[in-house]
Formats: sequence, structure tokens, C-alpha cells
Amino acid sequence: MNLVTIDFIKLTLGVLATIGLYSVLYQETKIYRFFEHVFLGLAAGYALVAVWTETLYVNWWSRMFGSFAEDGTTMAEPGRWAYAILLPIGLMAYFVFSKKNNWMSRIPIGIILGMWAGQQVFIWWNTYGPQINATMQPLVPTTWDTWFVPYMVGMEPAQAAEIRANIHLSQAITNFIFLLTFLSAFSYFLFSFELKGKFMLGFNRMGRWFLMIGFGAIFGSTVMARFALAIDRLSFIFVEWAQAASRFFG
Amino acid sequence: MRRKQNFWDEIQFIDRRWLYLVLGVFLVLGLNLKCAVSNVCAEEGKDFYATVMKVPEGGTVLIQSDWTTSTRGESQGHLESLLRILMTKRVKFLIYTFADPQAPQVWRNVIRVINEERESQNLPVYRPWVDYIDVGYFANAEGSSIAVRNDIRRFFSRQVKDDKGINRSIFESPVMTKINKVGDADLFVIVTASATLDVAVQRLSDRVNMAAMVTGVIGPTALTFYQSGQLKGVAIGLKGVYDTEYMMANGLNTPGPDGKIVVEYDRSEAPVPKITEGKTLARGASYIVALHFALGLVIFAVVVGNIAMFASRAANKGGKRR
Repeated sequence: MNLVTIDFIKLTLGVLATIGLYSVLYQETKIYRFFEHVFLGLAAGYALVAVWTETLYVNWWSRMFGSFAEDGTTMAEPGRWAYAILLPIGLMAYFVFSKKNNWMSRIPIGIILGMWAGQQVFIWWNTYGPQINATMQPLVPTTWDTWFVPYMVGMEPAQAAEIRANIHLSQAITNFIFLLTFLSAFSYFLFSFELKGKFMLGFNRMGRWFLMIGFGAIFGSTVMARFALAIDRLSFIFVEWAQAASRFFG
Repeated sequence: MRRKQNFWDEIQFIDRRWLYLVLGVFLVLGLNLKCAVSNVCAEEGKDFYATVMKVPEGGTVLIQSDWTTSTRGESQGHLESLLRILMTKRVKFLIYTFADPQAPQVWRNVIRVINEERESQNLPVYRPWVDYIDVGYFANAEGSSIAVRNDIRRFFSRQVKDDKGINRSIFESPVMTKINKVGDADLFVIVTASATLDVAVQRLSDRVNMAAMVTGVIGPTALTFYQSGQLKGVAIGLKGVYDTEYMMANGLNTPGPDGKIVVEYDRSEAPVPKITEGKTLARGASYIVALHFALGLVIFAVVVGNIAMFASRAANKGGKRR
């Protein structure tokens, strides 16, 4: 079989699977169920093999046993026997199914939890430290030469650096809107005491509106992502497969 | 179920399968319509392009490619445009995943296709060992990212075949010789459709310049990291693919044939050049028309649905009064 035929068969199977899975949009049928099970089986089987070939073999097995050089007699990488200890520790996780010995499964779980907990302090700071820092925005303009940041394309670097060092009115207003959004959204999560007074209640309500606008934007981005996936599938059928078919049928 | 009393009720209770059919027809029409779409590139996308273009020729980029075929519509376009830029600039790269054992096969297909495309254009192809290193999948993103942070040489200490077919340590390869710690890489780019973005930013963003190409679902999270400077630039979703391709074709602050600058970039006074070899407008450009059609249809359906709802309420109230 030549490459064109293999390509055509491969893509045709892909097209059948795509149509089979999209048939659920009409109604759930046996065709959909069939392709769903094929997909799950393939994914699980592929993952099982890939975990061995891509991870366990290269990162555990070959490190444990080492590797020979090209001459087949001298060791290129010495074996590290300590890697063998990982196997019984990993297998202990399966004792979760044993009523009598399920305490053993807590050992690997404890190791994972300990590693996770140990990372959390610096992870917290690495996540939120720069974000807290970025929230501290200047609100007072440092120059009144122009209200907006001047057009800098083609400017001398020193002159552009001088402009960037200043806060213009438009930037100060942007920063103020940012701070207002941040504080009002933040106030929405103050549950420890009752908010009283028109100002605080209004500020809180404004935070809720900002949050809802944010959720709407997030939802819009998600919808766009879903459309992109549908467009790609249709492109697979109407462009990629169509091209392979025209090559195959000459 | 409420009884359909008038035209507006009919509109509200239309079988959703008709909508799917109309959407499908619109998408296929959009895919087959070859027209240039004008574009206003997002600021985070411009920063992404400028950051990648800053990597010097012969430099090394670490690519964490954490996506599979389920997000091919967005992530494949991301990886393709990134590789096209790197290959044009002769930048070397190490590619791996911490997310999914299926991911390596997916990027291997992308590299093969782009190499075939370059070969057909008489451009040099990218060779394993000399131009890039593919180290595959590593389980446990959290633990693996920490290991990369602490000692990248020990974490990736594995042997791969060199250009003569002899097993050698990847750190003897021209790609990795100068990499002693993760910060020695000129850039770290994560192409992801999942929360591995958070894991990478949390563990590596203070050690290496980091940029991201993410799906629309992960976009809002990535924007927070971008605003705080943890990411130097982000390409989000299909729009991000088209933005990147658009900047590859037009550059930033770079005059076009008519002398006008197509994409202005106010964070730099100097031009960021366009890509002068190989394909620039590709997957993003061919999908963006269909995306506009789909979003237009959704807006239309939402407007009509709301008008129908109000009109139906008004009509039913009127009926009761009578």
C-alpha cells in the first residue's frame, strides 16, 4: 500500500469517528456509543503504553539497570539500584483495595501529600507575590505635558525611556479604574461583618457587577474556544479529508 | 411543556438541531471563503511575538507542549506558528510535556508537517539532536516542574540518539550545551490547554523568562499572570493564533509596502521584524473567517431569542386581557 492510500484510509477512519461522535447532536444512538467506547479504549490503551515507553522505561527502568555503550560491553550509564525501592512504595498504593492492609496505601499517599505541602509556601508567594506587587499602581500623574502617552515609534531610545518613566493622565485614570474594580470586587468577599451604609452597599454592588462582567468575558472566551474546536473538526472533514480523497481518487 | 401560541413562541421553542445545522453550514462556508480579515492584535499577543522575536539566533527555547488532539483547533495553530518563528530564526528548542502521554505524538506530527512544508520551499529542515531535542512525557507536573527548577541537568539527564545514531547525553547536543540551569534558556514557552500553566508559573516564572500560548478556556487565568508580569506575553485561543500569524506577516512597527505601519506596538520604539521565509498566514487565517461567522450567528440568535421572549410575553399578556 502506498502512502496516499494509507493517508486516505487513516483520515477516512478519523472522519467516520468525528461524524459518529457528532451524531449525538442529533440524538444519542448506538453509533455514538460505539465511537465513544472506541475512543475511550484507544485513549486508555495508548496512555498505558505511553506511560511505560515515555516515562517508566526511560526515567525508572533504564536508570535502575543503566545502559551499555555502543560496543555492548562497557557501561555508558551505571545502574542505580536505589530506584528499585520506588516499586514497592508505588505498589503499596494498591492496598487501598484491601480491607485488612489498606493502612499501607497511606504511605505513598503521605509521601505525595508531604511533597505537596512542602512546596506550598514558596508556591503561594510565587503565585500571589507578583500579583500583589502589580496591584500597587501609581494614581497620580507625574507629567502634564500631554494627557496621553505620546506616539513613540521611531523615537530615540533615550527619549522613549524618559516618556515611559512618567505617568500620564490617561495611565493614571486607567490605574484608578483598575484599583476601583479591584477594591469593589474584593469588598464583595467581605463576609465577616455586615456592610452598612449607602456607600458601602453601593460599592459592594458595584463589585458584584464587575464580577458578573468578568464572568461574562470568561464565558465568551470559553465559547470562542469551543467554536475553534468545532471549526477544526469541520476543517478536518471538508479540507484535510477532501484533499486526501482527491489525491487518492486521482 | 408550555403550549406554543404564536410565532414568537415557535421561535423560542425551535428544535436545537436546526441551530446546529445552520451553525455547521455557516462554519463550512466560513472555512471555504478565502478573504483577508483585518485585525487589531491584542496587547498580550504583541508582547508574545516581541518576546519570541527577541531570542537570538542559535539561542535555546524550552517548549512545554501540554496539549493533545482534543484542543487541536487552537493549540496546533499555536505550536505551528511558534515553530515557524523559531525555525526561521534558527533558534534551537527542547520540547517535552508534563501533562499527557499522548502529547509527544501530537507535536511529533506537527514538527514532521512543518519540516515537510519547509523542504517543499527549499528551506533547511530541523533535525533532531542538532536543532531540537524531544524528551517526551514526564508524569507529575508539580514534581517535575520543581525538579526542572532545582536541577535541569539532573532532571533531563537522559540519552538520546545523536545525528550519527549514537546514544549520547542530551547535554552534549548543540541544543543544550549552554544550559546549566533553567534560567540559561533564552525563553520558556508553555503551549497548554490545561492547568499546567499554573503549575509552571508557580514553580518557574521567577527563574526564567516565560511566555504562554493557551486555549480560550485558560485565557483568563493567563491574563492575570500576564498583567502581573509573570508571563512576558500570551497568545490566547484562535484569535491568538491569527494575531501571531498576522504579526509574522506584518511585523510590529514595521512599515508595509505603502509605507504605513500595519501593527503598532507602543512598548517598543524600534520595529520588530516580520517573518521573511516560509509560511506566515496559515491555520489561524483559514479558521478566523469561520469564527467570525459563528460568533455573528450566536449574537444574532441571542438577539432574536430575547426579542422573541419579550414579544411572546407581551402577546400572551394581551391574550389574557382579551
